[in-house]
Amino acid sequence: MKKFILRRLGYALVSLTLLSGTIFVFVRLTGDPALLLVEPGASKADVDAVRERFGLDRPLIVQYGKFMSGLVRGDFGQSFYYRTPVLELYLSRLPNSLLLAAVAMSFSLLIGIPTGILAAVRVNSWWDRAGRIFALLGLSLPSFWIGLVLILFFSVYLGWLPSSGSGTAFHVLMPAFALGWYFAASHMRLTRSSMLDVLGAEYVKLARLKGLPERRVIVKHALKNALIPVLTLAGINLVIMINVAVVVETVFAWPGIGRLLFEGISFRDFPIVQATVLLGGSMIVFVNLLVDVLYGVIDPRIRYER
Amino acid sequence: MTRLAIALVALTWVAVASAAGTPAGQLTWALHVTIASRFLDPADNDGLITPYMLQYALHDALVKPMPGGTNTPSLAESWTAGKDGLTYDFKLRKGITFHNGAPVTADDVKFSFERFRGAGAKILHERVARVEVVDPQHVRFRLKEPWPDFMTFYGTTATGAGWIVPKKYVEQVGDDGFKKAPIGAGPYKFVSSTPGVDLVLEAYEGYWRKVPSIKRFVYRTIPEETSRAAALKSGAADIAYLLTGPVAEEVKRTPGLHLVAPLLDGVFWLDFPDQWDPKSPWADRRVRLAASLAIDRQAINQAETLGFSKPMGNLIPPHFEFAKAMPPPPFDPAKAKALLAEAGHPAGFDAGDFYPFPPYFSMGEAVAGYLQAVGIRTRIKTMERAAFQTAWRDKKLRGGLVMGIIGSAGSAATRLEPYVTRTGIYAGGVLPEVEDLWERQAREQDRKKREALLHQIQDILAARVMHAPIYELGFIWGVGPRVEQAGAGLIPGFPYSAPVEDLALKRGAP
Repeated sequence: MKKFILRRLGYALVSLTLLSGTIFVFVRLTGDPALLLVEPGASKADVDAVRERFGLDRPLIVQYGKFMSGLVRGDFGQSFYYRTPVLELYLSRLPNSLLLAAVAMSFSLLIGIPTGILAAVRVNSWWDRAGRIFALLGLSLPSFWIGLVLILFFSVYLGWLPSSGSGTAFHVLMPAFALGWYFAASHMRLTRSSMLDVLGAEYVKLARLKGLPERRVIVKHALKNALIPVLTLAGINLVIMINVAVVVETVFAWPGIGRLLFEGISFRDFPIVQATVLLGGSMIVFVNLLVDVLYGVIDPRIRYER
Repeated sequence: MTRLAIALVALTWVAVASAAGTPAGQLTWALHVTIASRFLDPADNDGLITPYMLQYALHDALVKPMPGGTNTPSLAESWTAGKDGLTYDFKLRKGITFHNGAPVTADDVKFSFERFRGAGAKILHERVARVEVVDPQHVRFRLKEPWPDFMTFYGTTATGAGWIVPKKYVEQVGDDGFKKAPIGAGPYKFVSSTPGVDLVLEAYEGYWRKVPSIKRFVYRTIPEETSRAAALKSGAADIAYLLTGPVAEEVKRTPGLHLVAPLLDGVFWLDFPDQWDPKSPWADRRVRLAASLAIDRQAINQAETLGFSKPMGNLIPPHFEFAKAMPPPPFDPAKAKALLAEAGHPAGFDAGDFYPFPPYFSMGEAVAGYLQAVGIRTRIKTMERAAFQTAWRDKKLRGGLVMGIIGSAGSAATRLEPYVTRTGIYAGGVLPEVEDLWERQAREQDRKKREALLHQIQDILAARVMHAPIYELGFIWGVGPRVEQAGAGLIPGFPYSAPVEDLALKRGAP
């Protein structure tokens, strides 16, 4: 196991180094950020001054060297737009993203899993059809539209919830719902199909033959195994929710990492894009590693040594 | 019942406070941009107008654009230029203090100028030989050689060099510390800032010009337009910046809300990059004039900005120093077709690609439609803004048309420089007579003579149809029912609420 973890850490390091180079080059192919930091029509001297201030006038290899040496020290550089250290910005937004993701994930699991179970247990019933419609809507309705409908209804017409921003528990409800519905739908679909597979398995049939009550068969025997792929998916979805909830964060003016990334891309704020992509990438690599290790712990048949 | 009682008490308090002349109440903005900490420090102004949205509240300048004029004395009681054009003397008002109680002195002026590192810093620092503190109330700028544009750079929103910060405090807390807790000499003082969320300011009752009437300002970042409108409709915001199309119309229809639209310094125009290629149809003045006459500016204005923009015949807004007022070209498709026929294109011609300035694509489509109607056939090519500006600057948008926008503050001279001069960043070519006039005006000390030279340049550009101006953009806001004075358009060309000390809530507003 130790060798496996060390090997995976090595792979992770290589992946992140490749990611740093890729994002460094690609973000620079999209245009000159100096032109976005001045008014249209600014003089050449002003544009040049901005480029000089951020070191954009230096050769690419020098810029990359500076970026990498900073990275080793945990310094992601200064944001062009904000003029503050990027790591400081990222860390100030991270709690908001974690909160939004946690509430949205709770919502998606609390809605998605029971609905999926019900749909599988009562397959082709009214429950199943309602669940499938719920999933279809969740997967197909764009989150910005859901967000705007929620704002119009709960903020403008009823006046119950704040339309945007953050700070209180009420602020998180609408963005979490708008973000969570899509994932609730995907969790519901996976739970349903996974449950259908498991319910047809021999050991579930045996449990029923033994005369166990149906509730016990479903909860104790079927659900436990059916949930493994759902929880794996939920782990990956959580990372996605934290890092790329761009649309929902923009609609609700929620100050999270997704919006930070969006701002970084819009302003060609290279340090912000590099930091959010790299830190998001690190999160994915870490979660994958964790999942691989947990598989070994959960399922003793999995062996890591060659 | 309790709520009602609280509301009545609050209402009474607001009424009493207003009557007593002390600040009361709260005004909340829904902003279209994310507030960056650099907006709180004038030293970092890169030439964008956005930071002044907050700096007109937090800070003050020696001289700045105000309703009374472009170079209105503010922290300076008066200013004089030496006859030789080499010195500028500023006399500070007496008894003015920063928000921490420290007096505003000539040392702060010198420090702020030397510390400034934003747009225009290089040229300012190169041309100013030194800043002399004559006495605590008197500061003198000594130039290396006469520079008629000095006050355009120092006394307008073209740069942040003339906006004064407290020397001792900045030295004590450092640049990062200053951005986190700025202290200025403006009508509002810093209370708190939540990055990416909001900024809260409170009235500074010691402000020299007048005591602000509103106690508290809250600036909330709401990047999505529909969400800003929703905040306005729900009462969560009193002013929502940047509304367009159907969202603006919806706000207009909502009882209690109304729209205002100060004109920006930003002017849309058609650039003809191929006019410098003798083989291109655009090299013919008649073709360029045909394109200009083909555009129904007022109809596009109505469709795009609900009629709030102002059709233009010049790239330079009329309130700019040395601008020459020019009426917009008429919409005359028949004459446009006749001109094309005269130029050898009776059936029109394929004009290549049409690049609208992002994100004004629908406006670009409208312009392309009008061109098509007279026979100038184009293909719309949309690009992302950074890519577009890079390609335009690098002269890669050849073989077609560009619909651009110019937004930089300054005078007619600074406005023209990027587009018509040898050093111009977007200039595809230069007319020798324009270059000659340009060189002469840059040296001219006599204001009248300089104006005549700059008017001559504008006349040549218009006569040669070097560009086709479209309109000066109206920046639409929604305003809620509590607001008495929103401060829209009080300072010509300034797109945000200002002067903020003049803003007011309606009497009895909750």
